Amino acid sequence: MFFRLLMESFRRQRRRKMLAGIAILLGTTAVTAMLALATTIGDRIHKELAVYGANIVVYPKADLLDVKVGGVDVKPASGGAYLKESDLQKLRGIFWANNILGVSPELRVNQQAFPAGVGAPSVPATVVGLWFDHDFGGMKTGAAELHPSWKLEGSWPSLAGDASSWQVAVGEAFAKRLNLHVGSTFELPKDSQLANGGLVEAQVTGIVSTGDDLDSAILVPLTVAQAMANKPDAISRVEISARTKPEDAFARKDPDSLSPNDHEIWYCRPYANSIAYQIREAIPGAQAEQVRRVEQSEGNVLKRISGLMWLISAAALLAAGFAVSAAMATAILERRGEIGLMRSLGASKGAIAFLFYAETGLLAVFAGTIGYLLGSGLAAWLGARIFAGDGGAAEAVLIPVLLPVVVALALVVAIAGSTPSIRAALRMEPSAILREDG
Amino acid sequence: MAMLSFAGMLRRSLVHRRARSVSALVAMTVSAGVATALLTLYADLDAKLHKEFRSFGANVVITAAVNAPLRADALDRVQAAAGADALAAEFAYAVATTDTGTPVVVAGTDFLAVRRLDSWWQVDAWPDAAVGNAALLGQRAAQFVGNEHAVALTYAGRAVTLAGAGRVKTGSDEDSRIYMPLAAFTAWTGAGPSVIELQVPGGAKRVEATMAKLQEAMPEVQVQPVRQLVEGESKIVDRTHALMYGAVLLIALTVAVSVLATLSASVLERRRDFALMKALGGSQGHLMGMFLLEALVLAVAGVAAGFVVGSAAAWAISEGNFHTATLPHLSVLPMVLLLNVAIAALAALLPVRVLRGLQPAALLKGE
Repeated sequence: MFFRLLMESFRRQRRRKMLAGIAILLGTTAVTAMLALATTIGDRIHKELAVYGANIVVYPKADLLDVKVGGVDVKPASGGAYLKESDLQKLRGIFWANNILGVSPELRVNQQAFPAGVGAPSVPATVVGLWFDHDFGGMKTGAAELHPSWKLEGSWPSLAGDASSWQVAVGEAFAKRLNLHVGSTFELPKDSQLANGGLVEAQVTGIVSTGDDLDSAILVPLTVAQAMANKPDAISRVEISARTKPEDAFARKDPDSLSPNDHEIWYCRPYANSIAYQIREAIPGAQAEQVRRVEQSEGNVLKRISGLMWLISAAALLAAGFAVSAAMATAILERRGEIGLMRSLGASKGAIAFLFYAETGLLAVFAGTIGYLLGSGLAAWLGARIFAGDGGAAEAVLIPVLLPVVVALALVVAIAGSTPSIRAALRMEPSAILREDG
Repeated sequence: MAMLSFAGMLRRSLVHRRARSVSALVAMTVSAGVATALLTLYADLDAKLHKEFRSFGANVVITAAVNAPLRADALDRVQAAAGADALAAEFAYAVATTDTGTPVVVAGTDFLAVRRLDSWWQVDAWPDAAVGNAALLGQRAAQFVGNEHAVALTYAGRAVTLAGAGRVKTGSDEDSRIYMPLAAFTAWTGAGPSVIELQVPGGAKRVEATMAKLQEAMPEVQVQPVRQLVEGESKIVDRTHALMYGAVLLIALTVAVSVLATLSASVLERRRDFALMKALGGSQGHLMGMFLLEALVLAVAGVAAGFVVGSAAAWAISEGNFHTATLPHLSVLPMVLLLNVAIAALAALLPVRVLRGLQPAALLKGE
């Protein structure tokens, strides 16, 4: 009997059910979409912020001071300390290894470049060895990935070719100075000691505009720079882009002054400071620091934007909750006549309340689920449209955890919305209701 | 006479069915409040976001040509070209030798300007501006200095001793430098400032316009953007803007449809009133006008209450998130009013089609 009442109610009162159902559907759609966007906004904005470059730098602890003025490095060439390229593999073993999104080591060599043509005087140039599309444990990474603002004409150099010719990319200013184009060649010493190597042909595969001192440098694959400097496996600096948690007061604490318990907590949170600490532990002789200009400001922006999204989601939740409960109240209010009839036919208050709650519940679960699916689709669509062209940003936003949350919310709101109306209707005399409703 | 009875009926209708009127009013208030809050936030969003991006520091670098230091009034001219709300700081550089024999970059600057411009610097103690020879040591540079409180430096045979006030930590070039007041630097090395770092607030358009203006006013210097900052800022502000726009539309639609459903249900419920009025001789137009007017009164009352509530919500959200207040924007009012009136009119008119087909006699009989 109960089920029949329930089923018939859905079958016969389609318009009324539709109204309440649409209200729930729209409410859950909006809430799901907003929550799905709010939970993924951090990653999305982080990807956008990647344009600012690395947020952690690693350099040899024993290194001399950088003596850079106006983009020219006048650091004495001798006595510098180096890290080992092979040690970078250890980064994949640290606690927050999965948060490392990009790694870009570099080695700088001061060199002379010889323009093509006999008798042309040589020009001093900085040769910078970098990774280009390097396979780092399944992750394609390198200088270009860490500097999305670089603009390249042509292609990045690779190791292809024989020992008598190197592929290089040159900075914009350097290219202008030597009048180089993609495909032109000049010559580079094979070795840091000019005497024992002779010259090697350098073939320009790309011209890059970086907006900083690399505009007047020669960019080569790291191995080439190591060979040129006669320092196999050496790197002078590593830039790392990591997904971090914005810094709070706890993050600024000195880990070594914390109690063992707090130290553990500090260590296991993805602060830039903790990741830098773990890198220092993993790579011998390394000093790792957060790049404060990037990290601090990124954290700031990230916090504000995701905070805004959460607050807007809360507003959406509130508004949708309100709208749904108002619609439910109206839907019940309309059916006071039914309640009066059932009461006069002898149904107990409990049975009637149960029937109405069952109807509401069924509607909430049903419309809530559809709303969840629609909202997820909407979030994916919005996300893909807004963050288009970042590569990989268009992933589906089907977050299973949200389903029970959203449906439960719909249930609570629908039941809360209908309770006052049900109670008011049950409190009235059946005969009064019936007479009033005619 | 007709107007009087109209007003009387309206008043009766609103007062007599108080519970129904209140719930309709609340629904209209919610829709107006949500619309006000979102539109107010939306109107302020770009300004707020650009403000956050100021923490990234300088986005334009002005460099003197080689062998030609900046003119003495360069900073004033930059400030004049960039506008009063831009932050600028000048720097002079020289390579000196510490008492441990290590070459180090020494920079002369104005600490007050740097402190405002580079808010990301982690400094344990800023030097007192009044002390002429106070110095700020980069955390790496500090390790190559014998005594941090009496930093002995030599440049071209001339020695100077600085009182180190604190250390600066940034994770980039600044760590390897020693900063000192510009006046003392010039007196010591004879070199004037060669670089001005400038922060132009606002998006890429304003930065580009300012750069063009600077280049025109000072053709002898090199004006360069810090490219990743300018590009990134515009990109992120645009994306957030679009995201917010989507959210505003979505929420407005949800609330509008739900309110519409609620209101039209309550109109439908009054079929008996409708039938009675019709039986007493009211014309179709009259009745529709009656319903419409009632809905409009509720809508306008809802806008009045909703504007206050929504402005308060926008203020709370931006105070909580951006730590700056968003004041009520009267400019959103017409939009909110339009939205609410449209919802109310739709809610009143939609059921009329259903009602028109009904026979008053049948309705009154209860069929």
